[in-house]
Amino acid sequence: MRHTSTRRAARHCPLLRLLRVLLTVAAALYALLFVVFFFDLDGKLLYYVVEPLLCRHYDRMERRNPLDMPYRTDR
Amino acid sequence: MKLPKTKADVKKLLRDFWHGKPHGERRLGDLYADKTGLYKHREWRGVRDTFYYFHMVWLYNYAHMVTDIMQDGGMVNFAKGLWRYRWMGQTYLPVLHWFDRGLEGLRGEALRASAWHYRAMVCVSIKQLMDMFNADAKLHGGAHNDAWQHNIAHKETVWGGVFYPWSDQYTNVPMEMVPFFITCHVNNHTAPHYIDAVQSIGLPGDPCTMCQAEAGLFVQDDIPDYAPFVVTSNEACDGSVASTAIEDWFLDLPLFAMPQPMRFDDPLVQEHCANEIRELWKFVEEQTGVPFNEQLLCEKLERQNALQRFEWEKWDVAAKTPYYPINSVAQALYRVYQTQYGDHDIWHRTDRKISRIMAKCVERKIESFPLTRHRAIAWSCAPLYYSNWTTWAYNCWGLNVVINMDSLMFDMTIRTDNLDDCVLDMARYHEWAPMRRMTVGGMQHIFELWDYMERFRCDMVIMYDQLHCKSMQGVSGLFEDEFRKRDIHAIWIPHALADKRTVSRSEIRRIVNDYMTTVMKEEPLDPSLLEYDDDMGW
Amino acid sequence: MRDLKHLIFFEDLLQEANNDLVQQAMREGAYALGYTCYFMPEVLLNLPGCFSVRLRAPRSGSPDIATYYMSSRTCHYGRALLERALEGGFNFLDAQFATETCAVTCRFQEHLERMDVIQNPEFFVEFTDVPFKKNENSVAHYRTQLQAHVLDVLHDKLGVDVSDKALMAAIAEHNEVCRLISEIGAYRKLDNPPITGYEFHVIQLVTLTCPKYLILPYLRETAQELRTRDPEPVSPFRCRVVLSGSESDDPELTRLIESCGALVVADRYCYGSLPGREEIVVEPGQEPLDAIARHYLMTSCCPRFMPREEMRGRKKNLADLVQEYHADGLIVASNKFCEYWSYERTMDALILPRDYGVPTCSIEKEYTNASTGQLRTRFQAFVESVEIKKIARGGSST
Repeated sequence: MRHTSTRRAARHCPLLRLLRVLLTVAAALYALLFVVFFFDLDGKLLYYVVEPLLCRHYDRMERRNPLDMPYRTDR
Repeated sequence: MKLPKTKADVKKLLRDFWHGKPHGERRLGDLYADKTGLYKHREWRGVRDTFYYFHMVWLYNYAHMVTDIMQDGGMVNFAKGLWRYRWMGQTYLPVLHWFDRGLEGLRGEALRASAWHYRAMVCVSIKQLMDMFNADAKLHGGAHNDAWQHNIAHKETVWGGVFYPWSDQYTNVPMEMVPFFITCHVNNHTAPHYIDAVQSIGLPGDPCTMCQAEAGLFVQDDIPDYAPFVVTSNEACDGSVASTAIEDWFLDLPLFAMPQPMRFDDPLVQEHCANEIRELWKFVEEQTGVPFNEQLLCEKLERQNALQRFEWEKWDVAAKTPYYPINSVAQALYRVYQTQYGDHDIWHRTDRKISRIMAKCVERKIESFPLTRHRAIAWSCAPLYYSNWTTWAYNCWGLNVVINMDSLMFDMTIRTDNLDDCVLDMARYHEWAPMRRMTVGGMQHIFELWDYMERFRCDMVIMYDQLHCKSMQGVSGLFEDEFRKRDIHAIWIPHALADKRTVSRSEIRRIVNDYMTTVMKEEPLDPSLLEYDDDMGW
Repeated sequence: MRDLKHLIFFEDLLQEANNDLVQQAMREGAYALGYTCYFMPEVLLNLPGCFSVRLRAPRSGSPDIATYYMSSRTCHYGRALLERALEGGFNFLDAQFATETCAVTCRFQEHLERMDVIQNPEFFVEFTDVPFKKNENSVAHYRTQLQAHVLDVLHDKLGVDVSDKALMAAIAEHNEVCRLISEIGAYRKLDNPPITGYEFHVIQLVTLTCPKYLILPYLRETAQELRTRDPEPVSPFRCRVVLSGSESDDPELTRLIESCGALVVADRYCYGSLPGREEIVVEPGQEPLDAIARHYLMTSCCPRFMPREEMRGRKKNLADLVQEYHADGLIVASNKFCEYWSYERTMDALILPRDYGVPTCSIEKEYTNASTGQLRTRFQAFVESVEIKKIARGGSST
């Protein structure tokens, strides 16, 4: 009976509801992070997606040609 | 995974779940995805250590990398730098994998201690790259902002401590430490790109790949424009002197060359070296308009001396006991980084943590590497693209590389009671820099190996054979003779320093495997680590 | 052209480090002092009672034993020297005055020190530290080093007179060699010189490898001969080149270049005369050792020098040399595995053509090169390209 009254109180108390939601979200986030960590999903994302994309960008970048820089021999 | 059939199986499963599998049963090689070096899943180290790793290595470092970036200059500058520089985007995002590779198989206090070393190096690396990006004219429309005006650029082989007298107003940032040196350890794909770049302008392929890659950064216009003047040095070799000519061309900045004498045992050279330091200080005063601050110099040197004294404590524990809790790669990289960079708060915070851990290990007689079969000393320059091979070596063969040559550089404190003695000591400190301490000034230095073997109670030598290092190549035969004469087990590991293509990681493992099976006639502790393909891995 | 009277004699002298004149000087009681580098002042090793021998390993084959000691990935020059030493070719030396100026020659000299290679119980090796700059701090340092590691050692170990008077006498003799070589070398500036690059290379080398007092009479006669020597009526060469680069003590390389049609008019390499044969000037009131230290530092164009003005100045020096000797092009030749010259050569090949309009051929070579077909092809192609440029500019090809 007390248990029911507590749950009823929780349903009607916004603060407690918020806390419950936050805890649930936090737990889910924690679990998700652990899954990412344990299955090396961060590494896989970086390896298969991010690095190739970035490298393609770097390969296509327009670069100044340092060989065009003057070479003053009076300095 | 096989299902448990008996009560004993269930007990074993639960024990392995709780504590992690014992060393000989881990089969760490089975975790790798073929070719990429990625993990099918990260190592289960038992509940306590896995969650420690998850919280205090993985989450902690990701979170602190973000806070470090925010603190040191902000996400905008970071993003600009990442978009602009290949070495940034290709290398530093997978940095947690660098932790993974170096810390494989570690448990307990060794995991904790070694990881703190890595954390310190990441913190200082972020500071350096943010110092560059905050000031980089290439990221700020060509403008030379206040940060640019207050930076000092120098070759990575110039010891950062020489700028201590201006450290309250100026920030010294090595040009190639973050764009090159660290990239080799974190993602070995980056450096070959720059090596190829400098060879594309006509440089032959035989000079030291470190100098090649450093020069290649300039050829690719991938060095930030972050300071108004630059300081260079002749440490550690002919190549580092020669590559300065290319760098000077592309930098086109006021440049001060601060060479150290080669024959550094000769007392007659010390005053000359000290005078060069004094000339450098005059140059910095002229460039900055800020006078030399002796008090600040002494304060920073005393802090640095404290770091050195703690390093000696670490060596004592490593040499005299089996309780040293730091693995070889953490020991080696941290030492080189800390000493070359100079004083920083994070080094002191890290050393305090390590001191507590080490004291605990010694008091409670905790052996972090209990399956050590051989205590090895690594000599000459290590393969940068496979600095964590020593982690593999312990996990696979029980080969514990207790100390390495580069850790033994800068092996001194600096007097601060009067300026003249201080400068003389700083001169000596420069002369004792990585590589040059052992490889120049007479063969007696390179053959100090035998003394260090005895001091650290090593029964084996890992002889790095850097194929591009003329100084070390020029002495290889005498080492062969000495190993034979002294009946020392020595594994020669050829490599091309920064270029993973010449001798692959697999080849290095094969060489070690061959020696351990044919000469030492031993069985591996973890056979799954004998052969695997990580050629495309970071 | 009429053959030079002593050329064959000079060529014979170059076939052995322990040649006839070296043996004669030793019979007369002089100490044979070996060295490898310009930074070891030759003049100090020619004080009364001793003579300098700049080490070469002529007729080198495959340096198999030296390669065991120094691996196949080091400069062939250093390995050839060690091989020759192991063969006994340098047993005549009384001492090696060494410098730690480049990694491989330093290792060679350290092997001499460590391995008991020279079969002479009195043999010793003495190292001198050499600065990387030309400022006053460096001059003072260099002077101190030469005093301690050359003069004091010569005096204490060999009883050599190192007084200022003796130094001045050595300078005088050295300067005469320089004057004669400079006189002979200056002919190369002429449109149709009465001397080839090969002949000059041979003459310059004998002055480095033989006792000065014994080679001087021959040198004087050669200089006299050249004053009246008629060149070929029509120059057989198609262009003129400056030869620059790292260590080069093999005249066959110069002969090879000239056989492809390019006259070598200036020698800016280690063992060359530009720099190398400038007279040492002792100002009134100046100590001879100070003059010597300054001279060898200031005249050197070694890529070891680090200050910016030195690094950049070397390019201008090369360009000036090309202009002074009316050269049509530049060949930069460095030994394989020479770190200093790998970078220097790369930059020369980029800067000289771009900024000075000097056609440049950049090659990598081994220590001995006579029969290298690849080099021949490169030189022939270079000569043709230079010729075409000359024709395009409106000049003749000869």
